[in-house]
Amino acid sequence: MDFGFQWLALGALLILASVFAHLVSRRFGAPILLVFLLLGMLAGEDGPLGIQYDDARNAFLIGSLAVAVILFDGGLRTPMAAIRAAWAPSLSLATVGVILTAGVVAAFLSLVFALDWRVAMLIGSIVAATDAAAVFGLLDQHGIGLPDRLSSTLEVESGANDPMGVFLTVVFVEMLQANQPFLDLMVLAAFVRDMGIGLVIGLLGGYGLAWLVNRIEMTGGLYPILVFAGALLIFSGTQTVHGSGFLAVYVAGIVFGNRRVRALQLIVRFFDGLTWLGQIVLFLLLGLLVTPSQLTEAAPLAISVAIVLIVLARPIAVMLSLAPFGFTLREQLFVSWVGLRGAVPIFLALLPFLADLDPERRYFRVAFVAVLVSLAVQGWTMPFVARRLGLALPPAPEPAPRLDVDLIHALDRDLIAYEVKPHSRATDWPIHDLHLPERTHIVSVLRGDQVLGPESLERLQANDVALVLTPPEHSLAVDRWFSRRFASTATDLPANAGDFVLDGAQPMRELAESYGIAVDKDDLDLSLADAIQKRLGRNVGRGDRARIGPIALIVLDKIGNEIKRVGLMLDPPPEGWRGLLARLRRRGRADS
Amino acid sequence: MDISDLITPDRVVAHLKATSKKQALQELARRAAAFTGLHERAIFEVLLERERLGTTGVGHGIAIPHGKLANLDRLYGLFARLDAPIDFDAIDEQPVDLVFLLLAPESAGADHLKALARVSRLLRDRAFCEKLRGSSNGDALYALLTDSPASHAA
Repeated sequence: MDFGFQWLALGALLILASVFAHLVSRRFGAPILLVFLLLGMLAGEDGPLGIQYDDARNAFLIGSLAVAVILFDGGLRTPMAAIRAAWAPSLSLATVGVILTAGVVAAFLSLVFALDWRVAMLIGSIVAATDAAAVFGLLDQHGIGLPDRLSSTLEVESGANDPMGVFLTVVFVEMLQANQPFLDLMVLAAFVRDMGIGLVIGLLGGYGLAWLVNRIEMTGGLYPILVFAGALLIFSGTQTVHGSGFLAVYVAGIVFGNRRVRALQLIVRFFDGLTWLGQIVLFLLLGLLVTPSQLTEAAPLAISVAIVLIVLARPIAVMLSLAPFGFTLREQLFVSWVGLRGAVPIFLALLPFLADLDPERRYFRVAFVAVLVSLAVQGWTMPFVARRLGLALPPAPEPAPRLDVDLIHALDRDLIAYEVKPHSRATDWPIHDLHLPERTHIVSVLRGDQVLGPESLERLQANDVALVLTPPEHSLAVDRWFSRRFASTATDLPANAGDFVLDGAQPMRELAESYGIAVDKDDLDLSLADAIQKRLGRNVGRGDRARIGPIALIVLDKIGNEIKRVGLMLDPPPEGWRGLLARLRRRGRADS
Repeated sequence: MDISDLITPDRVVAHLKATSKKQALQELARRAAAFTGLHERAIFEVLLERERLGTTGVGHGIAIPHGKLANLDRLYGLFARLDAPIDFDAIDEQPVDLVFLLLAPESAGADHLKALARVSRLLRDRAFCEKLRGSSNGDALYALLTDSPASHAA
């Protein structure tokens, strides 16, 4: 009897191939998503495996599931601090930015290819959403850190612009279906309704799910499943009542991830794996669905769309939507360049086909090629661009390995086991001078096969395991006591980090005297850290820069809210176009 | 400002011997005292003071200790290549074997910053530093330091 096990085996082999491809792609710096997509194409009807897969409806449903999981996971990993630092610019990018991107692409298509403006807008909307996962994967791979506000903005933007891309695509699909000649105000009403419902269900769902998890006693392994099913219900339920499920599931992820939740570590790990699976399946599936031999026919249109998107639409959209938020020109250029397109555009391009507007799946192929080009061109060059624009920071130090122990839920403190890293605060200061956060204690230390009480120790050593009790709000900050104080991988101190590294606790007076810089009398007794915060506000992040007379101070490291290391830049280039040109000219000379 | 305005051939030391950061700074101060006419102790104190603000070991084996002194008549540089690398408390924890000392008069202000920036930029070029490590005589080092395109003012 044929149960179709061969299909299961084939699927498993494809996923295995993707996992191994990940290893290979790291070595070449190739964007991993591109590799998955190519693998799918290879397995498809024109490739050696010749798998025939042509069920667009099925692909759309599985794709929705994968995107929902990826969005929930994205929300789960977005700390409240990132939202606080970046919600305004991200929202602007995700709304105004998406409309502008779609608009510029559409204007180009209707002018040059003489497409109906509604069709042009449809294609523009399809390709408007970005994917940050690709960006951060690549930056990690190259050991590049970005200024905090910049990376938060990119991260939140990419989560928030998917719902917007979906919404616009649906609007134009429905318009074409009903053959409406113009947009009317109903669009605004629909926008408010969709996003409103999505936001409300997302918030309630996130809180509800957290409440449920904390309320129910069950085997540890079931919590992630409960959350998975919950997230799926939030997504599909919202879609069913005509809200934006994509927004709902993202918001629910953010709410859930920032609540104090039992078994959060388990849940986060589970979703980490699930997101990988989602990415692999999504890209494989889309790669399978396309017929590579038909792509050439779509190529002229698709490549034009990709070029316009990269050099015109995204930069215009970014410059205009970020204008009010005080990003430097270099940062805006970087955001423009890293508008990587991921699976969402390809997946959205199935909609017009499913709505019988595009029986030959032309838009699907256009979106497919545009994404391929974007991943290849922008993905591959991004680390280079980050360095060239002087935005690359040294990577944040790798956190010390930690194991969280779920204590009885009623207790308001977590027990964490840390492996103490060399050159950490914990090894460099005596135990009683460690100044751990409030209500945080080292309960016990394991050294080799001995169990030691902290009172019997003068100081911790590398490779000790320290058991630490801490309130959950400090549980991330405590990492910094046991991790290396800074990344000692022998990478460059990038030009962006300044000429020298100073200790943020030192007084401004020392700086003023050592370099003959005029400093306000009131500031002389402040520490460098306080002086920076006085100028830039309490919420400064890595990479933020304060000018003091002729020099600039750059925040390199923070522990909690406290600035640790400060970069000293002796001749900071002026910002704006003039500074950018000066920088490129200077770099050009150093390279020659 | 060019590097050749900061150093002379006799202010390039091809084989400095020191076993610790403190000893290296003392040795640099001693040599600087000879050509600046200032007290060795005063120079050493200023350098130590600056290290408290944050290490001048900028990574990849490079250190650029510097400071301002009241009675100096002009900017002075001194380049030293160490026979055996030493722990300099550098930001990347790597031992240091190339040292550029820069002393500036109290009144130097912008010139001090410019000179320091120039030195910092020069030594950030890793291929160039490898060349410095590869040559073991003072004249060759001096020629390298003053001939590099980055040694000259823009």
